[in-house]
Amino acid sequence: MREGLIKMKILDVFKYAWGGIRVRKLRTFLTTLGVIIGITGIVALLSLGEGFRIEMTGQFEQGFSLNTLTVTPGGGFMGFGGGDDEFYLLVNDTERIDEVEGVNIALAIISKQVSISSNNSPRTVSVVGVNFTQYSEIYGSTFLAENGSIPFSPANDTIILGAGIADPWNNGTLFASVGDEINITWATGPISNPITKSYIANVSTILKEIGGFGIGGPSDNQIYIPITTAQEFFDSEQCDQIIIQLIDSNQKTIDSVTSEIEELYDDKVSVMSPTALLSTISGMFSIIELFLLAISGIALLVAGIGIMNIMIVSVLERTREIGILKSLGMKDRNVLTIFLGEASLIGLLGGVLGIALGWGVSNVISLFLSVFMGSGIGGGFDMGQQQAMALSITPILTPTILLLAFAFSLVVCILFGLYPARRASKLNPVEALRYE
Amino acid sequence: MKDTNLDLLKNDSIEKSYVVETQDLKKTYLLGKVIVHALRGIDLKIEEGDFIAITGPSGCGKSTFLNLIGALDQPSDGKVYIDGADVSTLKGNQLANLRRKVGFVFQFFNLIQKLNARKNVELPLAIMGVNKKKRRKEAEELLRIVGLGDRINHRPTELSGGEQQRVAIARAMTGNPRFLLLDEPTGNIDSKTAQGIVALLKKLNEEKRITIILATHDQNITNEAKKIIHLIDGRIEQTNFERGVN
Ligand SMILES: Nc1ncnc2c1ncn2[C@@H]1O[C@H](COP(=O)(O)OP(=O)(O)O)[C@@H](O)[C@H]1O
Ligand SMILES: [Mg+2]
Repeated sequence: MREGLIKMKILDVFKYAWGGIRVRKLRTFLTTLGVIIGITGIVALLSLGEGFRIEMTGQFEQGFSLNTLTVTPGGGFMGFGGGDDEFYLLVNDTERIDEVEGVNIALAIISKQVSISSNNSPRTVSVVGVNFTQYSEIYGSTFLAENGSIPFSPANDTIILGAGIADPWNNGTLFASVGDEINITWATGPISNPITKSYIANVSTILKEIGGFGIGGPSDNQIYIPITTAQEFFDSEQCDQIIIQLIDSNQKTIDSVTSEIEELYDDKVSVMSPTALLSTISGMFSIIELFLLAISGIALLVAGIGIMNIMIVSVLERTREIGILKSLGMKDRNVLTIFLGEASLIGLLGGVLGIALGWGVSNVISLFLSVFMGSGIGGGFDMGQQQAMALSITPILTPTILLLAFAFSLVVCILFGLYPARRASKLNPVEALRYE
Repeated sequence: MKDTNLDLLKNDSIEKSYVVETQDLKKTYLLGKVIVHALRGIDLKIEEGDFIAITGPSGCGKSTFLNLIGALDQPSDGKVYIDGADVSTLKGNQLANLRRKVGFVFQFFNLIQKLNARKNVELPLAIMGVNKKKRRKEAEELLRIVGLGDRINHRPTELSGGEQQRVAIARAMTGNPRFLLLDEPTGNIDSKTAQGIVALLKKLNEEKRITIILATHDQNITNEAKKIIHLIDGRIEQTNFERGVN
């Protein structure tokens, strides 16, 4: 008989638990699936949230043009939430708005999704038709040239590229530079039988990197052409929004101009300040966050119950095995550890896979959001197209998020594994050995 | 009965300590509302190096007795001493530690199916916290002793009944237990293979002085035992000394 400490090594306990998992691969995987989904949701949520928080900070640091308002057709946010389909703003509506007391500049913007190509493969981007002079007057701090200069009396084929368009991979591999020719193609009409138009534009300017969301103003992921070119090319007098520069940024001015314009258009337009816009976006983001949180929570709960269920079955199935282990002198504590070990291995596995998948999902969501944000001003989604734009919200995976996801995965598994594991450890060895 | 009493007197007089000692050992089970008296008072002293066969009809309490002296279960009344330690006063972990002094072999082998022969034999050593190298060495040596030196990496499903029982015996012998308890070890294997097991047990008892207590119907085994205890309905009916051991 060996005297002294009789104590099973924890590593051996875990190895034994791992053996139990290995012989039941499919079941283990199915059990783990719930955990994976839950952790995926949590990681996606947290990494996007982190990205969003950083982007917001960037936006605040960059500052807003607080003395601006955006007028869009339709009563709701960015044209959503109903409104009159028949109603639209025209480019020359700026003249009416100019008349309103407190308005300094009224600037029409036409915005469309087009395909652009240079020597590189074509990409879909959002093009903004705007008067460069007024635009840079309103957004003097962001509509700035990095290469070339902003042309104040541009030729018809002039084009200005956002920093994210010119350098889409952010590594110096340029899509185009000043002086390059770019082919712009616009598809209209039914998808089954589209009519395409195109023209060759000349890159005059690359903008400085802006960052943030570019709310109401210029963004890194757009290209700019003269408003007159846009009117002609898109063959339309309609504009997608009118940007107003106020004489000052007093709330009183904002309120009075807002109500006057709404009255002017019989409430068929919505007038928004950039701060309101940002808070709407952040509100939308909270809804997405809440949605993800709810899904992850439910998934984890279901996963937990699944784990408990599977483990109860597993304890029953292995009653005899537990009897053997106990007859060999295994302590209750070690039997408990074996089953908790199995649960935590499931947690670990679910954690790793969930984090990987969550990272993928958050990138997909951010791509989706970038399409939405990037083209949202002009309206319309353009899914299914290769979007090589820089992301509006770049998900960020911090060590804290990693740790949190891991901890959560483990805690859920151990918590729900505790009851079956305790049951296993308390089995009477003789009864367990008699079990068929 | 006469013999047993003499034996008791003789041993008490020289204050010998026993590997196992039971005093008026009783075990009752509650089956629904019926009380089943599995053991009705067993007094027995087992010395080091003994080879004891417990026989008796099915249901007479053989397994119950082995479970009690193997510290797998607690008596309803009476005492079990293993190496002088009163089993009834022990709890959880102490009981588990005590089981390491006992090598159990079961009728249905009770090997862990997912582990190969060597790992099965190593298991009690792993439970004791013996390091990998040592336990591997001991397991391989024991498998050689039981005649399975060339089967160490086979899983239970790849072994015959007799071979599985040899693995179980090797497993029971790990860590130098004070005694082996075998509950109908040949009850589930053919008689020819059983003879091999019997020979092995005899060898272990004679060469390694391992104390053996087993329950069996098998004539082959009882012939080799030094002492036969015949149980009927939870009582010792008769004790025989075989082969002139005294
Ligand atoms: N867990 C139990 N619950 C109820 N009755 C039991 C239990 N274990 C054994 N018994 C009964 O105790 C008696 C002795 O059983 P056992 O020790 O298994 O006999 P043997 O091994 O000699 O065949 C039998 O009548 C059996 O039915
Ligand atoms: Mg029996």
